[in-house]
Amino acid sequence: MEQKILKKEDIGKLYNEFSSEYKFYAPIKQKGNIVFERIENPDDIVLDYLNSRIPPKSILFPQMEVLFEYKLDDKDVEITDRQDLDEKFMIFGIRPCDAYSYELFANFFSFHGNWKDEIYLKKKENTTLIGIGCNTPRSTCFCTSVGGHPFNKENMDVFLTDLGETYLVEAISDKGKEIVKKLSWLSDAADKDVKKSEELAKKAEESFVTQIDVDTIVKNLEKSFDHPVWDEISEVCIGCGSCSYLCPTCTCFDVIDETDQYNNKGRRVRIWDTCQSCLYTLETSGHNPRDTKIQRCRNRIMHKFSYYPANYDLLGCVGCGRCIMVCPANNDLRDHLAKIEKIGKEEKEEKAVV
Amino acid sequence: MTIEAENKEIEASIRDVAKKMLSEKQVDVIIGYSQGTLPLSSTPIVIRNEEQVDNLIWDNLCYINLARYLAPLMPQLCDSEGNALKIGIVSKGCVGRAVNLLAAEKQIDLDKVKMIGFNCNGNVNRSKIAMEIGEKEILDVSITGNEIIVKGKDWEQNFPYSEYINELCKVCQVKIPSATEATCLGECQQLESINDEFADIDEFEAKSTEEKWDYIKKELEVCTLCYSCRQACPACYCNLCFVDQNKPIWFNKTTEYTDIFTFHLIRSMHLAGRCVACGACSSVCPVGIDLNFITRKLEKIVKTRFNYTSGLNAKTLPPMMNFKMEDAEEFMLEED
Amino acid sequence: MSNPYIPYLTRVKSIVTENKVNDIKTVELEFKNEEDYKKFDYIPGQFAEISIIGKGECPIGIASSPTEEGTIKFTIKKMGTVTSAFHASELGDIVGVRGPCGNGWPIEEMKGKNIVVIGGGFAFSTLRSLVLYLLDEKHRKDYGDITVIYGNRDPGEVLYKDVLDEWKKRDDIKVVLTIDREAEGWTEEVGFVAPIVKKVAPSPDNAIAVVCGPPIMIKTTIAVMEELNWGPEAILNSLEARMKCGIGKCGRCNIGNKFICTDGPVFSLAELKELPDEY
Repeated sequence: MEQKILKKEDIGKLYNEFSSEYKFYAPIKQKGNIVFERIENPDDIVLDYLNSRIPPKSILFPQMEVLFEYKLDDKDVEITDRQDLDEKFMIFGIRPCDAYSYELFANFFSFHGNWKDEIYLKKKENTTLIGIGCNTPRSTCFCTSVGGHPFNKENMDVFLTDLGETYLVEAISDKGKEIVKKLSWLSDAADKDVKKSEELAKKAEESFVTQIDVDTIVKNLEKSFDHPVWDEISEVCIGCGSCSYLCPTCTCFDVIDETDQYNNKGRRVRIWDTCQSCLYTLETSGHNPRDTKIQRCRNRIMHKFSYYPANYDLLGCVGCGRCIMVCPANNDLRDHLAKIEKIGKEEKEEKAVV
Repeated sequence: MTIEAENKEIEASIRDVAKKMLSEKQVDVIIGYSQGTLPLSSTPIVIRNEEQVDNLIWDNLCYINLARYLAPLMPQLCDSEGNALKIGIVSKGCVGRAVNLLAAEKQIDLDKVKMIGFNCNGNVNRSKIAMEIGEKEILDVSITGNEIIVKGKDWEQNFPYSEYINELCKVCQVKIPSATEATCLGECQQLESINDEFADIDEFEAKSTEEKWDYIKKELEVCTLCYSCRQACPACYCNLCFVDQNKPIWFNKTTEYTDIFTFHLIRSMHLAGRCVACGACSSVCPVGIDLNFITRKLEKIVKTRFNYTSGLNAKTLPPMMNFKMEDAEEFMLEED
Repeated sequence: MSNPYIPYLTRVKSIVTENKVNDIKTVELEFKNEEDYKKFDYIPGQFAEISIIGKGECPIGIASSPTEEGTIKFTIKKMGTVTSAFHASELGDIVGVRGPCGNGWPIEEMKGKNIVVIGGGFAFSTLRSLVLYLLDEKHRKDYGDITVIYGNRDPGEVLYKDVLDEWKKRDDIKVVLTIDREAEGWTEEVGFVAPIVKKVAPSPDNAIAVVCGPPIMIKTTIAVMEELNWGPEAILNSLEARMKCGIGKCGRCNIGNKFICTDGPVFSLAELKELPDEY
């Protein structure tokens, strides 16, 4: 790895290098929120941010996505597939937790049954990630508890460390090496730059306020489906689903047909959906396997910390903390996980007393 | 009295009334607010005995409308035999209005609900503060004197309280719940109507159509259709929301601006005359959309046309669910 | 690699009304493209996502057996948006088909065993597929005794009357039909499915039972079978759920960590006992 230096004032230059070949996404400020949007003007790019409100899953798995288009023609139907799946994406400024969430997405969308979700997988293949390590994780972040790290370079193509006025640039994957080669105007990094990045990584790692014993939680959840802890956890939830919308690993979607009846054409689209909605599992007969709030709250947590590990030996949570920040009722996931962690301990204590 | 002092008094009175209600078994549970885990939040709490009373707080970050938990569609608070429990509810003015609205619309049994009323001094405008602080993490928010003190790791910023409360709190005319003494312990009042000039939206109304349209588009186009506003609203209790209907599909749920706009437009129409101006919708929006300008406009129309304000008593039905022979009809009979 | 959400296009070849009140129809579909039919290689018990393009999609069990070559059949009850649009279809209309989805009945494991097929009401469609497959001359010798117990509310609701008549004529399959209450002209069994199963008392020795029907029928039938000493690994169910993608991607049909559309819809009772009670 030959490290390079990218000056923050040269971001526009980087943008110009790639914007014609790639759909270039970076963080911008929109109504006071940081979101990842397609960049038309590199001056819009915001470099001073903690993490985006809406996770970058919205780039490769947009809230509304066309599956195919159709034309209705008396007794016939003509279907047109997506034509744009070969387009390339470049995502600048993604954090390690979100970069890892792309891998979890790819894992889920290629698992289960004979079909893979080619729409997502093709786009992922054509995506280059230029990520930035987190110098100052939030108090609500807990990536280190779920197997992540604020400076995890694994899932990136190019990894940047924010050194203040400049970024230390490291090419990680083969794709990344090609990218850095193209940026021949980058200056070489000095030893002190590399040393500073290592110090920043260590400082970030030590700054985590939230620590969670995930192994115990996964183990406890195997036998806690009917435990009364779920009553407490779901009591003040208002069932809005913001946690799933802003979760980088939530993949559930709904499918609807939108037909323009005047022009006999339409499209089948998929839109984000949430298991917190009371309609999520409602069958046409009226039967609803999850018709109470407790079941729905439980399903989401079990999905991330029990079903996902059971199926893929991976956790379904990247520790970004967005669900904690956005919950309108401040129904804090960390409190829930702490309660789940304690299951079994009270019984053990009782047994010890007896 | 400073806001800080008022808060201490309010908190003490809430706890006193709560303790009395529980010890005299006037109620089985009390729904209130408790200390949140995040600086700009509070967590609703359901307490069941006197020992838990000290968990109830009041700190200007109590923006959820607790009447939401009484509304149908939320699990009913029941005992082990399925009998509905008697519920005490910590009521700022707008929560009281929501309870009245639900009672008038026959969605709750007011005999099973007792409000703990107090003189609300407003809620902090979370999104305004977050926007001004920007991308630094806020670690602590407190009220000292008449200032909001916001602290981070190595920085501190003060905001004057009166300028940084929710827009709806600034113009609120029903700070104390309007209810009978039988329904509301603590502070209460009996209001027949309110005096509201709606001066705050005159400026908006004076704009041209294009300006208004552009403003609304800019506000709404970032909407992610997460439906938090609908879920937080105590008046939105339909078993099947219009946007979820699929036999037939009335409105689609995609993120095209037309679909976003239609959702907010129709939801607002369904709230006309019913909205209790609590501001929960704006407080809970994850992208910080201020829906209040729509709700204020609707309140003005309803007040002007029907001389009605929602939630002042538990009997009168909102005008959209009711008609009187003397209702104005000229908009139907106008000839062009 | 192709887009898994795009359906094969088929045309409606024939429509048969199955019941008296005319809300259940069996529709026969012919693939527009011969290649697509070859790709649609299914076994009994699988389902497909049927699209009325422009209205939506829903998961329907395949009623035809792969031994009935050339076309595929679906039996559809008019219940919601898509099924109503389906019922309004005419001959020659286009219907989208995605699949085959799901795991299907375990026809390999069932070899050499006696098969007891228990169905209630309109859930019999994938059982029709299974029995026709088992009875086909290519496969019959691979399986032991076949018993079919099929219950309905009244004689007007009995599906596939023509096929049932054919089976009754054969001597290598036992067919027991029952209706809930006495009706004029009905000469066969009378009673709910569970007591009739008790009466027939199929033996669990070297046997597999396949049970499909409304939840209450399944519950009562399984209780009876447990009394008859049937083990939970030998009783198979086909579950239903709200589905959108049918291929394990949209997430909504999960029971615990399994998806009904890919790990199911066929589950043994033993497997269901391990899963949370959310179906």
